[in-house]
Amino acid sequence: MIVTISKQEDKTLVELNGRIDSTNADKFQQEMEPLMQGEKPDIDVDCSGLTYISSQGLRVFLLLQKSVMARKGKLVMRNMNPRVKEVFDITGFSNIITII
Amino acid sequence: MKLDLRTEMMLDEYREHLPIYDRLKTLVLERLKHCIEENHLRIAGLESRIKEERSLANKLELKGYKYHSINDVTDIVGVRIITFFSDEVDVISALVEQMFDIDWENSVDKRKTLEIDRFGYMSLHYICRIPESLCHDSEMPELNQIRFELQMRSTLQHMWANMYHDMGYKSDVEIPVEYQRDMIRLAGMLELADEQFIRIRKEINNYRRNVQSLVASGNFNEVPLNGDTFRSYLELKPFRNLVEKIAGINQAEIYEDSLSPYYNVLLHMGMKTIGDIERLRNKYSDGAYQLALLQLAGTGLDIVAYSVALQNICIVAILKQGFGEAGLIRLFAALYGESAYNAQRAERVFEQARKINLV
Repeated sequence: MIVTISKQEDKTLVELNGRIDSTNADKFQQEMEPLMQGEKPDIDVDCSGLTYISSQGLRVFLLLQKSVMARKGKLVMRNMNPRVKEVFDITGFSNIITII
Repeated sequence: MKLDLRTEMMLDEYREHLPIYDRLKTLVLERLKHCIEENHLRIAGLESRIKEERSLANKLELKGYKYHSINDVTDIVGVRIITFFSDEVDVISALVEQMFDIDWENSVDKRKTLEIDRFGYMSLHYICRIPESLCHDSEMPELNQIRFELQMRSTLQHMWANMYHDMGYKSDVEIPVEYQRDMIRLAGMLELADEQFIRIRKEINNYRRNVQSLVASGNFNEVPLNGDTFRSYLELKPFRNLVEKIAGINQAEIYEDSLSPYYNVLLHMGMKTIGDIERLRNKYSDGAYQLALLQLAGTGLDIVAYSVALQNICIVAILKQGFGEAGLIRLFAALYGESAYNAQRAERVFEQARKINLV
C-alpha cells in the first residue's frame, strides 16, 4: 500500500495505491492521523489505485470521517474500482462516506 | 468641543479606568457564556461594548449634573443578550439575578414602563455589579465596584430598537411626530409577532409530545410520516433486529449511523404514515436479510452500518414492486446523488437479487 499525501491550496489530496488489509491497516491509520487534526479539513481521496479494502480499512475511513465531521470539514472519495465500491455498498458504508 | 472642567476630570478618570472596563467586559461575557451553556439555553446574540470617549463626553455635557464621579455612570460597560423568543428574556434575567448583584434602583424594565395603550422600546435593562463570590482580584478591587449595564431583549425587539437607532434617534429622544405613528404601528406589530412565535413554538412542542406518545403506543397507522414522526419512530430502533441478524453473518460490529437520509426516500416510495413503514419492514425484512447473506457471507467483512438494514429493505421493496434496475438507480440517486456508480451498482444488485429469486 502506497499512500501519497499532497496539498493543493486548502485541499488535502490523498492517493491510494495497492491493498488495505489486516497486514497494513495499522500503518495506513498512522499515515492518516495527520489528517485528523486542524480546522475544517477538505480531504479528497483518489482511490483509482486501490485494489482491495478490508474491514480494518473501512474502520480507518470511519475514524477519518468522524474526525472530519467533528471539525466541520469534508471528506470525499473518488474513482473507486467496482470491487472496492461493492465493499462500501454491502456494508452500508456508502451511506456514511461521500463517494463520487 | 469645549468641555467644562468637571467633564474633563471625569474623562481623565474614564481613561485611567479603561483597562478595568476591558477586564470587566471580558469577565461578564465569560460568565454569561458559561451560564448560558451550562443551562443549555440558545440565544440569538451576545453583544458588548465600552462606551466611546466621544459618546461619554456628550452624555456628560447633557446630563453631567447627575454624576459626581465617573463611577456614577452605569453604562460605560454595556452587554446585551438577544433571545430568540420574548419570553426567554425572563429566563435569562432570572439567571442574571442569581449571578450578579443588581442595582434595582437604577434598573428598568422598559416592557412594563410602557402605558397600556403605548408601543415602543421593549427591553429589560439591569444595572449590575460583579459580586466578590463570583470574582475577586485584590489587585483590581474596582471590578466589584464598577457597575455595568446588561440589556436583555428578543430578536424582534432588538430589530425595532436597531432600526430606530439607525435612523439617528436614541430611545429617549423623540422621533419627529409625523413618523411616530409609523414606528409605533411597527412596534405593535412586532410585539404581536413575538407573541405569535411563542404560540407557534408551544403548539409545535405539544405536537411533538403527542406524536411521541402516539408512536410509543404503537398506533402507527394514525401517525403521519413527517420529519418529527420519523425521528420519534427511529428512537424505537425498528431496524435493530434485522441489522443484528445481518451483523451475525460475519459476527460484525454495528456502526450506528443516521437513517435521516432515508426520510425523503421513504416519502418518494409513497409512505404516508409510520404504519406504512412498519408494513414495508415486516414485508421485506426477510428478503433484505437474504440479500445481505448473499453479499456478505464469506467476505470476512466484520463491520456494518446500522443503515444497511433499511438500505436492503428499500432495495428489496423496489425490486418486489417491479421497478427493476431503473428503480434501483432512482433509489441510489436519491441517496447519493447522480453518479455513474448508481447504474453499475443497480446492475450488480439486480443480478444478485435474481439469484435468490427476489425478482
